[in-house]
Amino acid sequence: MTRNAVKATDEAAKQNTDIQGTDAQSTEKGLARRDLFRVAGLGVGALGAVAAGVTATSGTAEAAPAETTSTGYRETDHVRKVYEVSRF
Amino acid sequence: MSKAVDHTVSPAVAEEELLRAQVYALLARLLARAPDAAFLTVLSELVGEGGDFGAALDQLADAARGSDPAAVEEEFTTLFIGVGGSERTPYGSFYLTGFLNEKPLAELRADMARLGIARADGVTEPEDHIAALCEMMAGLIAGEFAPEEGGTAGLDAQRAFFDRHIGSWAGRFFADLETSPSARFYRAVGAVGRSFLAVEARAFDLAA
Repeated sequence: MTRNAVKATDEAAKQNTDIQGTDAQSTEKGLARRDLFRVAGLGVGALGAVAAGVTATSGTAEAAPAETTSTGYRETDHVRKVYEVSRF
Repeated sequence: MSKAVDHTVSPAVAEEELLRAQVYALLARLLARAPDAAFLTVLSELVGEGGDFGAALDQLADAARGSDPAAVEEEFTTLFIGVGGSERTPYGSFYLTGFLNEKPLAELRADMARLGIARADGVTEPEDHIAALCEMMAGLIAGEFAPEEGGTAGLDAQRAFFDRHIGSWAGRFFADLETSPSARFYRAVGAVGRSFLAVEARAFDLAA
């Protein structure tokens, strides 16, 4: 993907698919946290339009390092989705 | 976006965490450069879902509907770039010390190195620009970077980064943006940023 101001350091190709967040999901604290976001209006519907985003070019954007592994997190759909909205 | 998209993926990044990353990415995009006509159209379709943050999203959608791209571009320049001094100086070091490139920037650079984040090639702006910091948060949440200690940045690491480099000043910046004399469209951006950071701070407290 392209970002504007920052990139992963060159050694950032990662092996693990175990992304953070599981701790928050499996605890009461995580549920309270999730409720807070929902009550606060941070919902899928609210951001749906943005998630559908448009692409734009950036003069300063830097492609992230290309190296990925077959099990790399970069290949998963949820990260791809973040990439889509980060491009706008 | 629908939940169905995620059905083949391990539930590693919960939906609300993904939404956080999207809001940070949105803020980063809006604070890095003015939105063009196509992006304003996308923004005009935002619909808030309650709370201060939802109200701010509605405000942003309204502002996008009523804005001319050329005018927003000019507003952006006046606010953030302006010849002979911009109206706002969106750098952490400036807000925390009154000067650019002071100790907070050095501390940020040390944390970036630890978290596996580098400044993009060709970028000369200091890394403590609000747009860069929002990009970093989006990337940390999405697991895009490779911290020195391995794995990805969990909530604890995200909170430490947030408290030190964003929570300490960016709320004031967004509030200032809301009341900037030249701000029209960007008043709404200020409202979105301020209300979102407030939610973030509360959410980190809940997870602690």
